[in-house]
Amino acid sequence: MSDNTPQTDEPAGGETADPTNDDMLVETDVAAATSGSTAGATPDPVIRSRDLDVFYGEEQALDSIDIDIPENRVTAIIGPSGCGKSTFLRCINRMNDRIDACRVTGELSLRGKNVYDDDVDPVALRRRVGMVFQEPNPFPKSIYDNVAYGLEIQNIEGDHDEIVEQSLKRAALWDEVSHQLDSSGLELSGGQQQRLCIARAIAPDPEVLLMDEPASALDPVATSQVEDLIEELAEDYTVVIVTHNMQQAARISDKTAVFLTGGELVEFGDTDQIFENPEHQRVEDYITGKFG
Amino acid sequence: MATNNEIEGFGRVSRTIGTVFRYLLLAATLVGLVFVTILLVYVAKDAVQPLTADPAWHLTFFLTLVVPTLAAGAYAYRESVEALRTGVFSVGFVVVALMFSGGAAMIFVDIVEPLTWLAFLLALAVPTAVTAAVVSYDHRVPFAAQFLATVAAFYLSLFGIPGPLGSLAGVPTLVPSLFDFVAGLPLAPAPWLMMAGTLGPPVAYVGSQYVAGDRDRRAHVLTGAAVLALVLAGGALGPFAGVDPVPGVVVAAIGLAPPLVYTAGTAANRPTERTGLVVPATIVVGSLVGAAATDALGFAGPQSWVDWAFLTGSHSSTAAEAGFYPAIGGSILLMLTVAVLAFPVGIGAAVYLEEYAPDNRFTRIIDVNISNLAGVPSVVYGLLGLGLFVTYLNQPPGTVLLGGATLGLLILPIVIISAREAVRAVPEDMRAASYGMGATKWQTVKNVVLPRSFSGILTGTILALGRAIGETAPLIMIGAPNVKYSLPAGLSEAASAMPLQVYAWSSLYASDGFYEQAVPAGVVVLVAILLAMNSIAIVLRNKYQSTE
Repeated sequence: MSDNTPQTDEPAGGETADPTNDDMLVETDVAAATSGSTAGATPDPVIRSRDLDVFYGEEQALDSIDIDIPENRVTAIIGPSGCGKSTFLRCINRMNDRIDACRVTGELSLRGKNVYDDDVDPVALRRRVGMVFQEPNPFPKSIYDNVAYGLEIQNIEGDHDEIVEQSLKRAALWDEVSHQLDSSGLELSGGQQQRLCIARAIAPDPEVLLMDEPASALDPVATSQVEDLIEELAEDYTVVIVTHNMQQAARISDKTAVFLTGGELVEFGDTDQIFENPEHQRVEDYITGKFG
Repeated sequence: MATNNEIEGFGRVSRTIGTVFRYLLLAATLVGLVFVTILLVYVAKDAVQPLTADPAWHLTFFLTLVVPTLAAGAYAYRESVEALRTGVFSVGFVVVALMFSGGAAMIFVDIVEPLTWLAFLLALAVPTAVTAAVVSYDHRVPFAAQFLATVAAFYLSLFGIPGPLGSLAGVPTLVPSLFDFVAGLPLAPAPWLMMAGTLGPPVAYVGSQYVAGDRDRRAHVLTGAAVLALVLAGGALGPFAGVDPVPGVVVAAIGLAPPLVYTAGTAANRPTERTGLVVPATIVVGSLVGAAATDALGFAGPQSWVDWAFLTGSHSSTAAEAGFYPAIGGSILLMLTVAVLAFPVGIGAAVYLEEYAPDNRFTRIIDVNISNLAGVPSVVYGLLGLGLFVTYLNQPPGTVLLGGATLGLLILPIVIISAREAVRAVPEDMRAASYGMGATKWQTVKNVVLPRSFSGILTGTILALGRAIGETAPLIMIGAPNVKYSLPAGLSEAASAMPLQVYAWSSLYASDGFYEQAVPAGVVVLVAILLAMNSIAIVLRNKYQSTE
């Protein structure tokens, strides 16, 4: 399977990325130069994996994943339960390190730097890659302190009040909470809590935003609010979202990766193409609901 | 016929066994509680002797106190359950706060001079301020320099140059420590003013935060000023009420101000619970009216063995004159020592085992052994204290420090286990969120795990302290005196403790008088102090559960 993915992926990625992204490439170069990254001038994908295997003890969770995730796009990862889509997401910011039995081999690069190199500090990596979890998990602190958490721990200089306000505005939560910044984040509704978590994740201005089924614990109204928000965030962030909801993937993503049982990446390409005309019978079966 | 059958046709499934099982379980739940209650009622009856009072005395208080209180409670309950709960809580708060203030007053009257206290606070406050200043420049100063500056500040302030390190090497003190400097000042304000100066501002600050919250400055200033005035009045007006200025200040600051602040906060911020305050008001007014009435009419009260003389006197050869004061003071000092020694170590171990320790065989061996240590009989810990501290380290037997260290070792496993439970109860989500934001382990522990588990840790450790306060065997083993006639003047002097004193009254002086009078009175005081301590844990736990 893995030898098919680059074929479907390369032309598609080139077509969508090239004509629209002239101004953004400049931004990328500036960011790369200031952060001292070795990415170079070529329009590399932000996240690139080659031959990525992940094992939990003896069990293989991901099997030779090759993928190129483009900048400032929403990339959705869909697939049935247990197909390794969350595992892949957690490889990107090395949250899997916290599981003792987890072993990773192969290459997974963020802007050309393999994040599993020995000289990569996972804490520093996570400061560049924000994450939003399945269950809303605000800290039992005030709304303000929740959003400012990343600013505090990362020693980010600047006007924290201003950054908190901007982050809450971008997370479409400001109007609802501006008068109660001192009250606990746990007093908000589920959908508000998830938007608070998104505000918290974007406050330190990460390069990539990972979302692990961010709307699965929310009601339909809150879900659609979060979906709108994700589409807006893609203007400034590279968003990778895991979802088991295919309609959601079709609605909000530019690119879609389909993982199937066994931890294989079966198909990766433009969302329209995946949903309308998938190459693989197994993907079509999955998308049309014949299995999974 | 057929339809009839179908309607009735579900039949019934027998639940007899299940019902029997359920009530057996209920009985199992209640049996211990019932027996302890019976015992306590029995002991309390012996200690307080309610039947020696004039029936008219009972009737008077029934009419002035019990009936109005029940009526006030019913009134509050009709308003809302919350109101009644607030009322009952404030009553308990007054009682517990007064008991704590009594204990604190004891320490400041007989053990710690107010000037020593002031010097100690200043010697801690100055380096703490230095530390805070250093930490706020955190991006510019490297950690090692920060750490050294902090340690140096504390060392200089507490010990001077060259301090104990120098005296080991035979160098005389060149620069006195801040502590010695303040303690040796030739001119010092009156002791009660020093107490008011140290206790008043913190209580006033917390009180004004509680009452005024985010509201206007005026409410803040007013509340703070009122609390300060109350504390000063405790010292200035205390002598007119027969209380010395220093205990007057302590009781006003710890015993009166917090409950008053609580009631003021309820009245100001929670209008729905305001009606609950009629309950404490009724109890206070009812008691005063009842006391005045029985006085005026000459109805004799009960011949209680728990009275002022018992609480403030020391042991005597006759049961009727025996007092509990040195034992209470000794127990309080022991508990403070235990808390200072066992809590940091126990909480540190718990955080290490839960957050840092790798999951390997070594950790699992430690795990099992901590659980085993919690079950080791206390007398064995006494033997450990005797062997380790007295025989090996040549400490004098029976001192406060020795007793505290031994009891600290005894409750250390319990502190570790309960603190681990609290740390483990922090949802994994919270840690993941923190790590996902790019926090280091230290930042996660400091910002998320400890704040979140703090009240749980405190609850467990206070309950562990409750075990220590009732221990007798280890104290006997380390040679603590059964009977002492005064409070120890410092940590390196021998002290008695409440359970030891009760043990002494029940064994060595086994005359009927001590059995019937001093022992029940001592037990009632011991249990009351234990409950006062545990009430903090209970309140914390309720608060913790309700915010989850």
